[in-house]
Order: sequence, then structure tokens, then C-alpha cells
Amino acid sequence: MFVRDIMTTAVITTEPGATLGHVCEVMQARNVRHLPVVEGGRLIGVITDRDVHTATSSLCLTPAQPKGLVRDAMVHPPQTAHPLDPVEDAARTMRALKIGCLPVLDGERLVGIVTGIDLLDALLRLTGVDKASGRLELRLPDKRGGLARLTALIAERQLNIHSILTYPEGAGQVRTVLRVDTLETRPLATALREAGFEVMWPTEKPWQS
Amino acid sequence: MAELIYTPAYGSYDFGAEHPFSPARQQMALDLLAALGHQVSWTEPEPATREEILTVHGEVYVAVVEAVSAGETVADLEAWGLGTPDTPAVPGIDPAVRAIVGGTLAGARLLSSGRATRVLQFGGGLHHARAARAAGFCVYNDLAIAIRHLTASGLWVSYLDIDVHHGDGVQAIFYRDEKVQTISLHESGQYLYPGTGEIHELGEGMGRGLKINLPLEPFTTGDGYLEVFEQVVPPALQAFRPQVLVVQAGADAHFDDALADLALTTRDYERLFHRILELADALTGGRVLFTLGGGYSLHAAARVWAILYLVVNDLPVPEAIPPAWAERWAAQLGGKPAAALHDPDPAFEPLARQEEIVGRNRLVAVRLLDALAPYWF
Repeated sequence: MFVRDIMTTAVITTEPGATLGHVCEVMQARNVRHLPVVEGGRLIGVITDRDVHTATSSLCLTPAQPKGLVRDAMVHPPQTAHPLDPVEDAARTMRALKIGCLPVLDGERLVGIVTGIDLLDALLRLTGVDKASGRLELRLPDKRGGLARLTALIAERQLNIHSILTYPEGAGQVRTVLRVDTLETRPLATALREAGFEVMWPTEKPWQS
Repeated sequence: MAELIYTPAYGSYDFGAEHPFSPARQQMALDLLAALGHQVSWTEPEPATREEILTVHGEVYVAVVEAVSAGETVADLEAWGLGTPDTPAVPGIDPAVRAIVGGTLAGARLLSSGRATRVLQFGGGLHHARAARAAGFCVYNDLAIAIRHLTASGLWVSYLDIDVHHGDGVQAIFYRDEKVQTISLHESGQYLYPGTGEIHELGEGMGRGLKINLPLEPFTTGDGYLEVFEQVVPPALQAFRPQVLVVQAGADAHFDDALADLALTTRDYERLFHRILELADALTGGRVLFTLGGGYSLHAAARVWAILYLVVNDLPVPEAIPPAWAERWAAQLGGKPAAALHDPDPAFEPLARQEEIVGRNRLVAVRLLDALAPYWF
């Protein structure tokens, strides 16, 4: 999954000479929190709702007025992403810098913007269901071939895997969460246990063990 | 008294001996009622016509089902949800499922014409089928076709789904419909097929606020289930004021079910059926159509549905089951005790986590009511 797959392409921008009052109105009217600042077709910064609120707060020593300018409140130089960056790279940058968005540049051209919300959407797509399916959770040894043996067994039963997510659990083990195209996850779990897999869900029923 | 709708033709909706959606479930329940001394009589429905199927399903999809049914090879069958281990492409499936749809539709007609108020369709409940896709053992959606007949007759319908799986097909088909309220109680999609049915699925457009989902924690027992049922279902029905209630009475929330993880007993089901009838008497002039549904412990499903028959006919539920029944169905019962209609009390050791399960269900019910409040008041 690349940045271009999750970014918003209809980017709302502003200019360094725009007023903070105007920017505030745009953000409220369009329900956005981040505006890339563009000058002569070039991205020069980003202004967020927090930048506007902080700059104009009466708690500031010298609060800016509504007719104050974007250039004095914006963040620059901007951090950016490329459309072909993997989404996890964008997420890592945003997490490391604790920022809420990355304008996406293809060369000099502003082609999109990725925000925290887009990353949450990506997480939902990666972990969630968009097709009817049953959930299966396993603990596998972090060794080569473990996952292959699991998917081979599922394929043998003619079942289709909709999604598969694996993450390290420490102690040489990984958790694997699958969404499988079947109502019959319990019989599948039983078969996997018999084949020696450690199945975390579905569990055996307390009154049957 | 209730009208019973059934035909042995339902038995042809059969995906093979290894498949959990077994027609033996109804046969065992009917035989159990006979063993208990009841002379069960039923009305045999006509199979649904192609036109009736098309009131809900797309013509291209119906043509695919017909082709599969005739034994023809269809390219890309899985795109239609057929030919999977859950819903195999078996010859003869089209007339088999039309027999079932015809039964549910016959029940709806009895209600819409005023010829009956209480109807038990002893089959059907294929709630996963979509307008143009088979899913989860379901080829056509008999419930949706029956509900469409009811709304076309000018009736407002509340659909109550107590199957352990989310009633996703019925919900999707009526997601924007203002004449159909759907209420589904199910094991949370975080754990169980089909994965949907969370509290924020509230409907769209004119149907907004009319699609209601109460997802429950695995191992929820009867008391906890009935508590949140009481919190949500009566006020939901009162807010919508339906003229008819359609109930998908899947038996797979039973603790012995082979595919799911809720923990109701047959006694809990009996309480639940009584409560649903009370609500129908109070809110829809008694007009209610029950169908069957999932139920993948033959031992549980046969008893749950025998109890359903007894309750809707205002008959007492006896304790003992004649041994001859268990002998006849020994292979299906797989050695499980079958001397009583009710499970032993307690049926299993209380779970250590029970308090936490109850608490989480209560919280979900409160969040659901919060989300619904703007549409009710």
C-alpha cells in the first residue's frame, strides 16, 4: 500500500499572504485541519488549525490579529512524502516528528496530502473486514515456513483468505490474524490444532475442554 | 395457536452430509414433537416464483443460480459467492431454495391478508444472502423477499434477528428503507462471521436510525443476553411502532453450537420466545412471523425449535423426552444426553470472566442507545 493509495488528491491550499481569519474560515467551512501553503506553484509550508489558534490566542504574549498573515504563523520548511512511499514510511515520519499531515510532492508538484485520518483508514483496510469473513488468530514460531504451512492447510480446505496480518510478539513468536471466507472457523481451528498449530481464537469452549 | 408452514421439500436444500446446515434439524424437531404426543399439522407452501425472487435479487445473479442448479459450468462462480465450502454449487439448489422462500412468503401472506396473526415457518432464515451474492449457507434471502411483500402490502415491519451471526444480508437489502426496522443481536463481529453488525451501522438516508445492532461478547450467557435484550429491543420497537414482527430464530446462540461462542440454554430460549410473543401482542396486534435459521448443534437446534413450536402454540413445555426419539436420532445426537428438553441447571460451570462479559455488554448497549437517541426523541 503506497501513499498515493490513501492520500487525498483534492488538496485545499492557501497562500503566505492570506490572513489568519480567512484560513480559519476555510478550515471550518471545509472541515479540514491542515492547509499546505503554496507560493508561485511551489509548496513553502503548512499551516494547521493549531498554528492558527496558538498564534491568535489571548494567552500569547503578542497575539496575532485575524488580519495577521499566514507566512508569520505557518510551519516551514514543510515535511513531505512521495506518492510511491510505502504508507508505513509516511506513518513513521509523522510519528517521529509528531505531526498530523504530510503534503505529497511529485517533483515540485503538490499532488496530494496524507493526514492521520488517512492512516487510520489505511489501518482499518489492513485489519478490518470489507467482506463477510470469520476471524482466526494464531501464535506461530518466528521461523521460516510457519506461515506457509498455515496458508497451505487453509488452501487445502478450499478456503479463501481475505486478509492476513502478522506482528512480532517477542520471545521468538509472532501473532497472525487472518480473515477467512467462512462461517466455519471453529472446525477450521480444530483442524489446525490437530495439525499442531497454537490457535488463540476461536478458543476451545470452557465447558468442552 | 400458530399456523405452521412446512414441506418436506425443504429437505432438498442440502449441501451434503458433512455440511453443518443440515435439514435433519427440522426433521428431528418435528419428530421430537411427535414423540411428545403432538399431532403436528402444517400448511404446505407453493415454491416461490422467479418473479417473487426478483423482488429482491438481481436478474443476472438469479440466472447464475439457475445455471448452477441445472449443472451448467459458470465462469467466476466465487464472485457470486457460490462454489465455496460454505455455499457449494450443488445441482437442484434453485428449486430447493425456492421451496424455502415460498414458505416464508406464504407466512407473510397469511399476515398481510389477515388470515393469521401468529405464523411459524419451520425452515428458512437465510439472512446472509445479498441481492446479488450468496453467502454463509444462504442462496436467496427468504426473509427479505417476505419483508418486501409485507411492505408492498403497506405494512411497517420490524425484523428481529436472534441468530448468533449478524443478519447482514437483510440489513444491507433494507439499509435505506424507511419501512423496515432491523434489529440484530449477535456475537460480536470482532470474533465471528460475518464480521459486521457493530453499533454504528445505523442505516442510511430514510432508513437512518432504523438499523440496530447489538454485538455481544463471546460466552455471554442467558441472563446477560436477556438483560441487554430488554434494554434495547422493547424501546426500539416502541419507537418504530411496526405493524408486523418478523423473527429469525436461529438456534446457534446455544452453548453447544459448533460454530459460535454464545452460551444460551434451551431454558433461555424459552424465556426469549415468550418475551418476543409478549412484545408482539403489545405492539403489533400479535402479528409475528417466526422462521428458523442457523443452529449447528443438532442436539440443541432440535430442542430449541421444538420449544419454539410449543411456546408459539401456548403449549406447556414438558421436561422429559421419550427415549425412542434419542434412539432414532442416535447418530445425529452423537452421544449427547437427550432425556430432557431443558439443559441441566446449571448447564456448565460459571465462567471466571462472567462479570467482565456482562459489563462489556452493558456498555455496548448504553453506547447503542446513545447513538439511537437522536432518532427516537
